[in-house]
Amino acid sequence: MKNLWDIFYKGLFAQNPIFRLALSLCPALAVTSNVYNALAMGLSVMFVITANNVVVSIFRKWVNPKVRVPVYITSIATIVTVLILTLQAYLPDIYKELYLYLNLIVVFAIILARAEVFAAKNPVFLSFLDGLGMGAGFAGAMVFIAIVRELFGNGTLMGIQVFGASYDPALIMILPPGGFIIIGLMIAAFNLIGQHQDKLKAAKQGSDA
Amino acid sequence: MAHDAHEQNDSVFKVGINLTLACLLSSAVIAGTYAVTAPIAAKTRIQLDNQARKALVADAQDFKAIEGKTGWYAALKDGKVIAYVVPAESKGYAGAIKMLAAVSVDSKIIDYAILSHKETPGLGDKAEKPAFRKRFAGKAAENLEVVKVPSDKNIQALTGATITSRAVTKGIKEAVEEVSAFTADKKK
Repeated sequence: MKNLWDIFYKGLFAQNPIFRLALSLCPALAVTSNVYNALAMGLSVMFVITANNVVVSIFRKWVNPKVRVPVYITSIATIVTVLILTLQAYLPDIYKELYLYLNLIVVFAIILARAEVFAAKNPVFLSFLDGLGMGAGFAGAMVFIAIVRELFGNGTLMGIQVFGASYDPALIMILPPGGFIIIGLMIAAFNLIGQHQDKLKAAKQGSDA
Repeated sequence: MAHDAHEQNDSVFKVGINLTLACLLSSAVIAGTYAVTAPIAAKTRIQLDNQARKALVADAQDFKAIEGKTGWYAALKDGKVIAYVVPAESKGYAGAIKMLAAVSVDSKIIDYAILSHKETPGLGDKAEKPAFRKRFAGKAAENLEVVKVPSDKNIQALTGATITSRAVTKGIKEAVEEVSAFTADKKK
């Protein structure tokens, strides 16, 4: 049970796609200027990464190692296309906001990386958890960046005024540099905490020995 | 020896079959999804278009396509034409801005809606907001000019998005001029 939780949890912190692995930074900059878009994008990626992990895991015994990358990409592209078609039909508002970036999900390094590193070697349920955890880590990071940027750059959250009309928004937060600054600070913070944890672990092992 | 076994496994035929099957499976899944979602997507699109037109001309009871002008609609109230809803397009900061403009029969802009754009989120996309759209309401073509000083007569540019403001104004102005030419033609 502990093991299952670890597989899920590592995506949230220890291997957070954006803040620890520094993968998929392009969408982290592009669609985080407001919370609503960031949440929609985060959930889309979470869905794709989880579904792809499951598919790759199911077919892992039949995929020839020599063509595994094209096969994985085909699988990711299929899932993304299905997602796009579905959003187009049922949630046209979200589709309108995100259509530029949805196609790009196909080439997100983090999705192919999870297929290659985890799903290709592990059973279906574990792969599902791994995808879910990585996806949740990604979505959480996206939403966090978006909260900071929207709050300080526009004075709103999910489009609702928070700071009142007299607040003079810091434009830089909405523009790409604001995204870079926040991501940089967060990577630094995550590294600090990570180092601290490593130190604690080392000290514990030292006292055990 | 292990290497040999690996080689055998990698014959071009086997690899090809593997890839082909993956692609076949993938196309089957996409085709299936498309068959289900395509009619719904088409319906949603028409619904959205009608909603967009209705949002522009609140008084209208019905919309009728105008023959010979693609995308042009006449807004009808009690059988009379009260406004025209026409497509407008302009080149913005980062690509085409596609709009829908509602123009009254006496060639004044009522309101507009942006259908698609690639402007900077948080700056240029404010052109979609009512605060900016209100600056257009009731203006004739000659007053559709962008100025930087606050003014009720002309259009005041959005902070940090002058290019977008100009592009939207230009597109709307062209639409108003087209409608004015169209109504003048009709009167003759």
